[in-house]
Amino acid sequence: MNKDIKNLVADIKSRFELVGEDYPKDDQAALDFNSRDIHSVLAYVKSQGFRQLSILSCVDWIKDNQFQLVYIVFNWETGIRLQVRTRIDRSNPKFTTVTSIYPGAKYYERDVHEFFGVEFEGNPDSYKQLFLENWDDMPPLRKDFDSKAYSDRKYPVREYAADFSKAGDKK
Amino acid sequence: MKEIKLFLGPQHPGMHGNASVHMYVEGDIIKRSYLLPGMLHRGFEKSMERRTWMNNIALIPRICVPEPDTNEMVYAMNIEALAKIKVPERAHWIRMIILELARLSAHLMAFGGIGGPTGLYTAMYWAQADRDRILTIFEEITGHRVYHMYIVAGGVRKDLPKGIENKILDFLNDLESRLPEYEDLVLNNPTVRARTVDNILLPAEVVWELGVTGIGMRSATGQEYDIRKVAPYARYEKVDFKVPTATYSDAQTRMTLKYQEMYQSINIIKQAIDMMPGGKVRAKVADGSALRWRVPAGQVYSAVEASRGEYGYYTVSDGNTMPYRVAVRGASFPQGLLGVEKYMPGHRIDDAPLWFDTMGICSPEIDR
Repeated sequence: MNKDIKNLVADIKSRFELVGEDYPKDDQAALDFNSRDIHSVLAYVKSQGFRQLSILSCVDWIKDNQFQLVYIVFNWETGIRLQVRTRIDRSNPKFTTVTSIYPGAKYYERDVHEFFGVEFEGNPDSYKQLFLENWDDMPPLRKDFDSKAYSDRKYPVREYAADFSKAGDKK
Repeated sequence: MKEIKLFLGPQHPGMHGNASVHMYVEGDIIKRSYLLPGMLHRGFEKSMERRTWMNNIALIPRICVPEPDTNEMVYAMNIEALAKIKVPERAHWIRMIILELARLSAHLMAFGGIGGPTGLYTAMYWAQADRDRILTIFEEITGHRVYHMYIVAGGVRKDLPKGIENKILDFLNDLESRLPEYEDLVLNNPTVRARTVDNILLPAEVVWELGVTGIGMRSATGQEYDIRKVAPYARYEKVDFKVPTATYSDAQTRMTLKYQEMYQSINIIKQAIDMMPGGKVRAKVADGSALRWRVPAGQVYSAVEASRGEYGYYTVSDGNTMPYRVAVRGASFPQGLLGVEKYMPGHRIDDAPLWFDTMGICSPEIDR
């Protein structure tokens, strides 16, 4: 593990309650926090040079009945990347927007809302549809959404005439 | 004057890919605008959860059409980080050659693409013809022209074919000798300059606000914010190259940087061919059939510098034969969605396609 990360994690530990940590790469740390700390943590790391939110994503841990929100932030000066993670309740998924800290999160929040159904309070557009036009089922990236069953239900199996190609030849 | 609704794209010669901009215009001026994405949404992230680690290699290049190799690279980097595999030295260098060829081809496409919005179709024809020669090289190396499925976890699929180095060098020398003609045709062309100089500005504050990366970021901040320099992958720390930057970002600057980066890519490939060692090109990820690999549990993010900026995958494994979750960070997501909403209004209608081209927007990677 690189020395900058060691110092940074020690610094973060002295300020916030760290629930879990992992180091998947030399220049990357994955830190878990309680959901109430996330905004302070993001504001703090932004002040420490992590000026870019690379992506906000979500993982559906259906067995634990939890969603995990993952904020990946990057420091362009040192090349260090942090995964700031938290878990929220899956049955009533709500979180507060971070657009006041990272304005670029606006559309990532819409993306997570559309695909996982997490509501971001304070993001005025978060409920609007983005990619899926006229979607009428549960958010599709949830683990209990079965894409095969959906397509079977939605699109009836077509019966083709056996001599389809021949019939096409006749004019 | 009355405000009217206007759609730019998806069927429009100046539009990049299958997206549409929903504009409200008053006269010539855009008052409000929104991107309507989703026309190319193919559900990759969900599909990946239903396929094995190896199966996905056939799927992922399709996320970004002009530059598919970055997908393969970040996917492979994530698996290697989770499974803690050491990639053979030669594979790193081959990957670098492939990625730089891909960057060249994507840059040519985007640089020539300026022909659409400006009516300078010659640039497009030239660039596509040169890009096609890169695709021929790709075909010889990988067997495929557009989607290569070549960079796999543990290295590359197979070694370079014999004698390909000379073919690549011949092409590079030829392209390098003709790049000045591109400069005359596009960058010094008065009709293009009239549209691009001091137009479509991107200040550094906006870069930080949106999270724009790549050429947009470097053209505004003046810093070498390039992942190849900041957090090197493959063997970029061992080759000598410059990152062109600027401190005033208008459409012309961003095109110029793109043009200068082509020289740097040529330079990198030449060095890589020269310095590349011999040896194995692929390490095993796990024992047994590749279709039954298990990747140790973990969550990791990897990113590379694509032609448009930071391109990354977030991969979650629960130790099974299929990924638990893969999230794609398209390089043009920030400027393509939030940028269009906040910073396209105020421009003229005819500048909207130029805005798209020079901000480096690629709709397949936004839709996924």
